[in-house]
Amino acid sequence: MVTDSDLAKHLSEAQVSVELQTEDMTLNIGPQHPSTHGVLRLVARVSGERCFDVKPVIGYMHRGYEKLSEVRTYPQITALINRIDWVSGYANEIPFIVAAEKLMDVEVPERAQYIRIILTEMARVSSHLVFMASYPLELGAATPLFFALRDRERVLDLIESVTGGRFHPNFNRIGGVKPNAGSGPITKKTPQDLPAGFLGETRDAMSVVLDTCEEIEDLVAGNEIFRARTKGIGVMPPEVGAAFGVSGPNLRASGVKFDLRKVEDYLPYDQFDFDVVVGENGDCWDRWWVRLEEIRESAKIISQAVDGIPPSGPLQAKVPKVIKVPAGETYVRAENPKGEMGYYIVSDGGPGPYRLKIRSASFSNISMLSWILEGVLVPDIIAIMGSLDFVLGDVDR
Amino acid sequence: MTSSPSDTEATVHPLQEFADSAAETVGGEAEVQFDTIKLRVSAERWVDVLTTARDDLDLVFFSWLSAIDWANEVEAGDPLKEEIEERIELLCTVGDLTEGRRVTFSTDLPTEKPSVASIVEVYVGANWHEREAAEMFGITFEGHPDPGPLYLPESFLGNPLKKSYPLLSREVKPWPGTVDVEAMPEKPSTENPSTENPEA
Repeated sequence: MVTDSDLAKHLSEAQVSVELQTEDMTLNIGPQHPSTHGVLRLVARVSGERCFDVKPVIGYMHRGYEKLSEVRTYPQITALINRIDWVSGYANEIPFIVAAEKLMDVEVPERAQYIRIILTEMARVSSHLVFMASYPLELGAATPLFFALRDRERVLDLIESVTGGRFHPNFNRIGGVKPNAGSGPITKKTPQDLPAGFLGETRDAMSVVLDTCEEIEDLVAGNEIFRARTKGIGVMPPEVGAAFGVSGPNLRASGVKFDLRKVEDYLPYDQFDFDVVVGENGDCWDRWWVRLEEIRESAKIISQAVDGIPPSGPLQAKVPKVIKVPAGETYVRAENPKGEMGYYIVSDGGPGPYRLKIRSASFSNISMLSWILEGVLVPDIIAIMGSLDFVLGDVDR
Repeated sequence: MTSSPSDTEATVHPLQEFADSAAETVGGEAEVQFDTIKLRVSAERWVDVLTTARDDLDLVFFSWLSAIDWANEVEAGDPLKEEIEERIELLCTVGDLTEGRRVTFSTDLPTEKPSVASIVEVYVGANWHEREAAEMFGITFEGHPDPGPLYLPESFLGNPLKKSYPLLSREVKPWPGTVDVEAMPEKPSTENPSTENPEA
């Protein structure tokens, strides 16, 4: 185990030489760089090993979902919004569906609420496990990838067994969840529910995920290289993060104890006991650590939901066959794995929205890249970018 | 359970009190709709209002900024049921980081040449959001430090999220549903069965 004083000594010895004068250079990173998780392009102006100006270029994956939503009905839109942040597709659906339900004044049955919570938290676990896999990899450690992806697959299998889809479940319906939840032939007219043994397997999977968290912590947290490359790197003060609209684990890593699951009522999280994890310094290390702890908290929520789910009951409220949402405007936001995800729906009483504004977390999170990357070392660009955990589908929409 | 119209009228939304005090602080009209506080202000005071919101109401978290094109003629999607006054409504949602309060500020801009002062000085995160609103709705944000398209290529013409902008894929091929343009596979058209197989 390396102590912080060792690390400080090591860092002081490893100062970059400033004696050598080099010409300023423009370095193009991306749009096809592995560390960009998609198609982000950075135009960095560097002087030697220092980068003094970074301009992110986005839009390579802009699909125009806000325009497309204006010509689609509410049930059709859920298929689109699954694909915004594809690492946690299920969680994207929730705020949209809740916003439509709010306008329609539909009360969702309790059992459906519990299924939503279980699947949302599973989406969070799988999203954070991807981060646990990819972030050390970007810093040169390949082994954690195998640990994290192995268990992510287990979680995805569970999501698939309920919804039929690993990434894009398209499982929520206005008023509840898909009435024939669970695998099995849909021609069979018997009402279906969660697949047999799902709750038991979920319980097992969560204890495995907790074990993996221990393994990853042992493997990564004590690694001298990982500590040297993340501690004190890319520090984001909370007030800067808030003004940029940085949300979720990235903001909590800077010490802001704020979690939309605690303050908004889009899902009955108030019935669950979990902690909001906060970091201290707002550096890359804290952002990594907050996500690791959030996996543990999510596992806690899932275990409570598995224990507390009503054994039977309807999965859907009564809604008309053709969904028409009454006129009105509302904004519903949710704590997604990447941060605040929200939808502002403007309805005119028709089958589709007049306007749908999608507030995605990664868009605001990476808008601060040019601020945070100013003056850092070139290798730290990758360390900082990776620690912000963004997905380009969530940036470009 | 008994509930009469007078009962529902008497119930005050839990957010109403905060909405009213916020409206008084910044100067504007508050409306609580489906748990969302919308505060209408005039475009001239846009920057002052958001500065007050940040400093006095402690709404330090910048959530998003965007617009709605209120138009009677639409090229894509369904038109509004009633005729409305045409305008561009600019929206900006900011929140606090303690109790989860949030306010959506709203101001009306003219449809022709909409223009408003930039709030990047107040909330630095508005930079990209304003660039997006500028290219999508044609709004000019005066004093924006880094104007220019964000998502769209430099050569792109038009403002895609305006209601007068058509959705080109729908122009080429109408959406199936009202008119099914192609028969589903394995299921021949039922329109004229006799002409398809004259031997039968």
